[in-house]
Amino acid sequence: MQDLKLKAAEKRGAHQLGGDNLVGWDEVTQGIVLTSFDGDATGVSHKKAEERNYSDFNSYTATVASWRVMKPVFNIDVCIDCQNCWVWCPDSSILSRDKQMLGIDYDHCKGCEVCVEVCPTNPKSLLMFSEYEDLGNALASWPEKKKKEKK
Amino acid sequence: MTEIRWHSRAGQGAVSGAKGLGDVVATTGKEVQAFALYGSAKRGAALRAYNRIDDEQIFDHAKFMRPDYVLVIDPALALTDDITMNDKETTKYIITSHLSKDEVIASIPALQDKTDRVYVVDCVQISLDTIRRSMPNSPMLGAFCKISGMFELDYFLENMKRVLSKFPQKIIDANMEAITRAYNEVK
Amino acid sequence: MAVEFEVNEREVWDGNYAASQALRQADVDVVVAYPITPSTPIVENYGAYVGNGYIDGEFIMVESEHAAMSGCIGASAAGGRVSTATSSQGFALMVEVLYQASGMRLPIVLNVVNRALAAPLNVRGDHADMYLGRDSGWLQMSAFNAQEAYDLALCAFKIAENHSVRLPMMVHQDGFITSHTAQNVYPLSNEAAKKFVGVMNPVDDMLDFSRPVTYGAQTEEDWHFEHKAKQHKAIMDSASVIDSVFAEFKELTGREYNRVETYDMEDAEVCVIGLGSTVESARVAAKEMRKEGVKAGVVAMRVFRPFPYEEVREALKGCKSIAVTDRSSPGGAMGAFYNEVAAAMMTSQSRPLVTNYIYGLGGRDLSIENIKTIFREQQANADAGYITTDIQQFTNLRGPKLGFFKTERN
Repeated sequence: MQDLKLKAAEKRGAHQLGGDNLVGWDEVTQGIVLTSFDGDATGVSHKKAEERNYSDFNSYTATVASWRVMKPVFNIDVCIDCQNCWVWCPDSSILSRDKQMLGIDYDHCKGCEVCVEVCPTNPKSLLMFSEYEDLGNALASWPEKKKKEKK
Repeated sequence: MTEIRWHSRAGQGAVSGAKGLGDVVATTGKEVQAFALYGSAKRGAALRAYNRIDDEQIFDHAKFMRPDYVLVIDPALALTDDITMNDKETTKYIITSHLSKDEVIASIPALQDKTDRVYVVDCVQISLDTIRRSMPNSPMLGAFCKISGMFELDYFLENMKRVLSKFPQKIIDANMEAITRAYNEVK
Repeated sequence: MAVEFEVNEREVWDGNYAASQALRQADVDVVVAYPITPSTPIVENYGAYVGNGYIDGEFIMVESEHAAMSGCIGASAAGGRVSTATSSQGFALMVEVLYQASGMRLPIVLNVVNRALAAPLNVRGDHADMYLGRDSGWLQMSAFNAQEAYDLALCAFKIAENHSVRLPMMVHQDGFITSHTAQNVYPLSNEAAKKFVGVMNPVDDMLDFSRPVTYGAQTEEDWHFEHKAKQHKAIMDSASVIDSVFAEFKELTGREYNRVETYDMEDAEVCVIGLGSTVESARVAAKEMRKEGVKAGVVAMRVFRPFPYEEVREALKGCKSIAVTDRSSPGGAMGAFYNEVAAAMMTSQSRPLVTNYIYGLGGRDLSIENIKTIFREQQANADAGYITTDIQQFTNLRGPKLGFFKTERN
């Protein structure tokens, strides 16, 4: 489920954050004003992310994928679409549409594990794996439901 | 340049009086200045207000002046404040008091050699009779009008009506009466 | 629709009232204020104009000057024409936010009615607050009387909002001496003033939903320096816009303003340079000195930021001895204004004698006689060919004579 075509075409993850082209004083914007979108952005809030024409100044076009050591992996078979992870994620990296959990935005996820922490299902629908772990292997190694311990 | 110094207490209307006078003088085509020396003063504190009048634009912003006229609108300040400070041999004094001119002069040592330049009018009583409260600034303007000869009374009254136009008619009428009475009563 | 406010061709206004009338005529959209003596009537009157329907604007009372300037920044970033007024301690509390306004290049007009900074507590005029803002990235102009407080406030909107400037601007007037002194003021008609100031044409306004923008982004060592350099360049370059706005204003009113004003300077050998209401008193003193045979002149700073180094040099080039007057407690150095003028003259061909007079702190009077004494000392310097007094002196101060620093001589 991780390969949903949600990326905003060519603009997504265009550059590493902090790896910008350092222009001179005469080329920086007046008043450090940064535009969020290229061109006319009228009605942009009604558009889906992949339809928006994000500008280079928008963090949406920058990636922090390389900051991550561990990554969360999402298991749709266990998920109950409670949106807890979507609410708690500090980097808006939970991809959800019409209250349906779709996956992780790996361009902006820093691997903080908050989503795993707040996931209420049994077993959890989000678990941390090594950054280089194959998706198939990760899903195959998903734990079983824990039984309640008898008193 | 004509320079005027007002001696007053906060609340008696010297600042408004000086500004009102400035307003009227400006209509004659002259340049004016009206300012006051006060700060966080409360009602009753002594203050001084000033006018400068000239044909040319006035550049002198100093508080220091050698006044041509000293207008005292508080009876007690005539006795306690240094009303003859920095005066000239021609400085004229208009003092508000219920006392007669001779009595006023007798009670203020600094005025002994200036008796021909001292004028007395009871601005407080006139304002109580007309405006119904102690507001001695308007009567003083009437007295000043008479002593300085700077304007005809009618001209001054007409222009003061304009300056006071934001007030109710009753108050304007009372002020006109106060100015007229002081004009006629100053000695 | 706003109600027409009637103005006469000739009014008797004090500096505060004059400035508030300029805000009304400029159709200021938003004033965010925390009033303080002696600038209170400026914002108070604006509030009354809004309340009485003379202007379609918004008057917002907040809980501090810090909040007042913050509100101004929000309104200006949103795309409105914005102004407020302050003095002294209020100005000091605003300082942190002043840098935000200039860094974000927001054309806010701040009417500063100059007042001393406590302690000791004092409500009267000196330039301590103005000096506190001199490195804040704002343009600064000085009005010497009520007429100029009005004229320059109108010019300030036009300068600040110019797209090649886009910088906030302060219009300074002296507390009480200008702000509370009523004098003849010849205002423009409402129509003429409105036409002169023009319509606010916002840049990067946040209420433009077709082009959302971010203000106040964080930059570290990689970007900060470049942005500050660009801002400094814009301040320096604003001089030509200021000149053209002054020229346009002269065409409209006949009243001429220059970034550096000169009076009786054609053949002057000694001069007093200053700013604020003192300039006019100095003009009177210079005229009287000329009757005594002293070739005296006066140079005045209309625009304090950007500092007009070349114009100062040009104005003072024939002078032998110059008295630079600072109306702010110098706090362990020469006066700030002295340092600017000395820097300009140090690099001139003539290298005249430059001395520093600290005067008028907390509203202390500076009489014509005081200024004439300064002129006489300059004449003595010019005759001797060296500075005969301490380089820095305190004028009209009680107690033993106070002065510091002497010329190095063999």
